Amino acid sequence: MVSRPETSEIESDPVLVTCLNFQILKLFGVILQRVLHWQPNAGTTVNTQILNEVSQCVESINGVKGGRWKATLTLYKPALREQSLVGEFPRDFWGISLPEQPNKYYFIIRTQRIVMEADSSIQAIMEKLQSYKSRAALYFEGFQYQVGDFQLRVGKVVPNHSENMRGIIMEVEYLPLSSMEKARLVMEDFFDIWQEAVSKRSLPGHFMHIEPNFAEFGLSDHYSSQHTAVQYATVMAQLMAVQAVRN
Amino acid sequence: MECVVQGIIETQHVEALEILLQGLCGVHKERLRMHELCLKSGPNLGHVPSEVRLLCDLEQPEPTWTVKHVGGAMRGAGADQISVLVRTMVESKASKNVLRLFYALGYKLDHELLRVGFAFHFKRGARITVRVSSVNKMLKLHATDEAVPVTPGIQMVEVTSPATSENYSEVVAAMSSFCEYLAPLLHLSKPGVSTGVVPTAAAAAASLMSDGGGTTL
Repeated sequence: MVSRPETSEIESDPVLVTCLNFQILKLFGVILQRVLHWQPNAGTTVNTQILNEVSQCVESINGVKGGRWKATLTLYKPALREQSLVGEFPRDFWGISLPEQPNKYYFIIRTQRIVMEADSSIQAIMEKLQSYKSRAALYFEGFQYQVGDFQLRVGKVVPNHSENMRGIIMEVEYLPLSSMEKARLVMEDFFDIWQEAVSKRSLPGHFMHIEPNFAEFGLSDHYSSQHTAVQYATVMAQLMAVQAVRN
Repeated sequence: MECVVQGIIETQHVEALEILLQGLCGVHKERLRMHELCLKSGPNLGHVPSEVRLLCDLEQPEPTWTVKHVGGAMRGAGADQISVLVRTMVESKASKNVLRLFYALGYKLDHELLRVGFAFHFKRGARITVRVSSVNKMLKLHATDEAVPVTPGIQMVEVTSPATSENYSEVVAAMSSFCEYLAPLLHLSKPGVSTGVVPTAAAAAASLMSDGGGTTL
């Protein structure tokens, strides 16, 4: 007969508590993602070495390497007859394609708190309208890893036609749930474990998570790909702000 | 791409048309209640003016939105000789804040309409859709509940079919053949070419109504 652990034994074992939390939250049966970006320490920049170390870090917490992953972000600019009126049009109009939703496309105007989901054919419509043109395209690309019930995507941010790395991002997806309030607790547990692993390497920076106010975008507590698109746009805004300060 | 023809019919003959379509298509009609918003680019946006239509399907329990771009018609001697208009058309489903996005991008509402009627979707040589609807205008912005007919007593009939540059001639043939069956009740032609109501409509409708569509027209 298997002995049943005392309540105090469970509470004193953080791994067991986390596992129990996962089992309970699996009942919700949906998805949650959190997108983080690498914040270099002052005076340092991102480079391939850091990306390699981060990838090794994922493997050190028993991350099983999976396939490649790639998301595309396109920044659109208005095609104007009178350039002096550019201030009247959004300057942060992004189009995003996500690998998990190949038939969908997402438009975001972050400063106006608008996110819209459409079929991927919306790109053909935008081309025909000729009112906005692609100003820059960036890729989030790297590898997927499976760590227990978590799926991690670690990759670099690179402009198209260039290998010049602009940033490092990590996407953490907890597969069995979607209610963000409940997921927050599980995620915190995961990041405690992650923090411990990454701190051993003395890397010149850390992963940072800026959680957008999803309600401002009209998004509910039930997690969707629109939430992910908003997080991607938030990361891009942050990376571009850092770049602007450097320049 | 899509192939399209349009026509008009008096409202009093719509029931007969429905009976005829029911017999020809062998499928049940679907109710149609579509709020259509036509947006145009603002004066400074785009090197050429552009136009996009947002369609809100009010028949669904939760209204669904579609973005539709209708491009130029196919031109040339070949296009002139066929009775069906072949034009580029791209559609995309969109979330409910699509109107807000296009306003933010600098598009302005040009006009809006409410189409109320029914539609048949079926396969007959091509995937054909027939929409029969009254076209209504709103007296107040977005007030679909207070819409009034643009042309009282007249309804619009639109026959469309998706096509590609490879198969459009087969689609045109299938559509033309189908339209012949409707000829006693209405005449269908390329959009913009008004042909009015047909003189045989009343007799054809009376015949259809008397035997429930059993008569061979």
